[in-house]
Amino acid sequence: MLKKEINDLLTQTGNGTPMGEMFRQYWMPALLAEELPENDSPPVRVKLLSERMIAFRDSLGRYGLIDEFCAHRGASLWFGRNEASGLRCSYHGWKYDVTGQCIEVPSEADNSSFCQNVKLTAYPLVKIGDILWTYMGDPQKTPDLPEWEFAHVAPEQTYTSKRWQQSNWLQAFEGGIDSSHVTFLHSGGLKNDPLFKGAKGNDYNMNDTKPFFEVADSEGGLFVGARRNAEEGTYYWRITPWVMPSFTMVPPRGDHPMHGHFWIPIDDENCWAYSFDYHPVRALTEAERQAMLEGRGVHSKNIPGTYRPVANLDNDYLMDRESQRTGYNYSGVEGIAIQDSSLQESMGPIVDRTKERLVPADSGIIKARQKLRKAVIALRDEGVTPPGVDTAHHHVRSAAIVLPVAESFMDSCREAVSATPGTPQTTV
Amino acid sequence: MLLSSCARAATAAEAAYRIDAPIAPARAARVVALDGGAVGVARRVAQHPWASARFLVCEGIADGGSADGLLLRRIDGAPAVLSVELDRADVVVMIATEDGGAACASAIGRACAELGIMTAGLVLGEGFESAAAVAALRPHARVLLPSADESDVTELLTALRA
Repeated sequence: MLKKEINDLLTQTGNGTPMGEMFRQYWMPALLAEELPENDSPPVRVKLLSERMIAFRDSLGRYGLIDEFCAHRGASLWFGRNEASGLRCSYHGWKYDVTGQCIEVPSEADNSSFCQNVKLTAYPLVKIGDILWTYMGDPQKTPDLPEWEFAHVAPEQTYTSKRWQQSNWLQAFEGGIDSSHVTFLHSGGLKNDPLFKGAKGNDYNMNDTKPFFEVADSEGGLFVGARRNAEEGTYYWRITPWVMPSFTMVPPRGDHPMHGHFWIPIDDENCWAYSFDYHPVRALTEAERQAMLEGRGVHSKNIPGTYRPVANLDNDYLMDRESQRTGYNYSGVEGIAIQDSSLQESMGPIVDRTKERLVPADSGIIKARQKLRKAVIALRDEGVTPPGVDTAHHHVRSAAIVLPVAESFMDSCREAVSATPGTPQTTV
Repeated sequence: MLLSSCARAATAAEAAYRIDAPIAPARAARVVALDGGAVGVARRVAQHPWASARFLVCEGIADGGSADGLLLRRIDGAPAVLSVELDRADVVVMIATEDGGAACASAIGRACAELGIMTAGLVLGEGFESAAAVAALRPHARVLLPSADESDVTELLTALRA
């Protein structure tokens, strides 16, 4: 249960809101690099933190993320012509470079300096891995570029997708640290999904449906450990890292690629779910990459030409009651990602947390909300940089491991949950 | 098709039609301080206005380690009996700062397991003493927060509507 004012504090991310200011402390995914595939490719509408922008890649390969609307009459630059190192408004020909600086106003005299005084709001846009990242905060405080492992391994080792989720970012993110739903909602996926099935850890998962939980602080956020009975005298641990504000990883299964998410607010009632898979020491196989392209694992099958899932709230997520009845899919919805989004979107665009009835197994969520609240207030009241901005906090991994009952997962897994380039993941 | 007959009913406007029934306290919580350091925390947290939470101090355990041998007191000093305290309880939150309360935790954990009562453990502080407390609580707390602070106790109980 959260008080309404705390729910509002954590779910509102527009400009000038405390949580919005916190998101503006971080480099965050703005769009996939595939959306701007080549120089002078068509501009793309981008809405983040309730701000509407246009992303484009100019003739020299520079990326820009600028206010969507022309300074002249407010027309959308999505209709613009991306040409000769700038984006030109189709209405009256005003032209802007990647910094938002107006560089041409055709109606003015040739030697006019008028355009020098016209500049649209612009944010940096940088390609790292498969993602174009932006930082929407104070330019004087621009942090170091992101160092997440999935974005820095070789291209053949990583794959990232995104999907539109019609809910506030917080309820989507909370699913990422909620280990106890996996045994139910995703039980079909553990048996059927090519990117999940076949791991020894799945047996432990399914044989013990009442895990114990440990929620441990980390410098960047939390580690949530879920412990299940394994062989005599041992526990099977699944360790989920969360780094503020919205990076999580799913504990690995066998030699499958590791995966995780970012949840990025579009506005207060929509977010992007960025989903990545990578293997730290080998290339993804053709079969793995194909499965990801088909929307298996943590990815989604999207409507061609869009990032909206084929199964969405307008078609009841293609609910299959026969699949539900037989248990092929526990909820009757196909796919890990859509199983999550269907239930999270059903809660309403911003779930009313004053009416929740949480249980101790929700301690990871309770603790994460508390840490978010404290960080937001510390930033607002004292200007304290929140956890997760420091790139040292990016060097985390999830892990799955069998340990003797007497061992603490945090003591035994310090290396396992640290992203050391070139070392394999710790997995069962 | 009526909007409320399909998933598109997940709009802010449709949320207004959700049944708005009052929510009773969800948890009859018992909060047990397992050592001297935890007692002060329990006393301060107990001053908040809780719906049905009861706060207890475990002062030790008689030889044999059975639940009946627990030396238990209410936070106001009145003697208490575990079996009475657990009657109608549905969650027990144990607070520890060191491993001195390990035997008490074990007895409480066993009693809760028999009665189907959920257990949570919060270990306050860092370092060797808290590590020992974590090890002592791990077998008996279905949910364990090993690096908790005082606000976590309040936060957990608030979230549980205790």
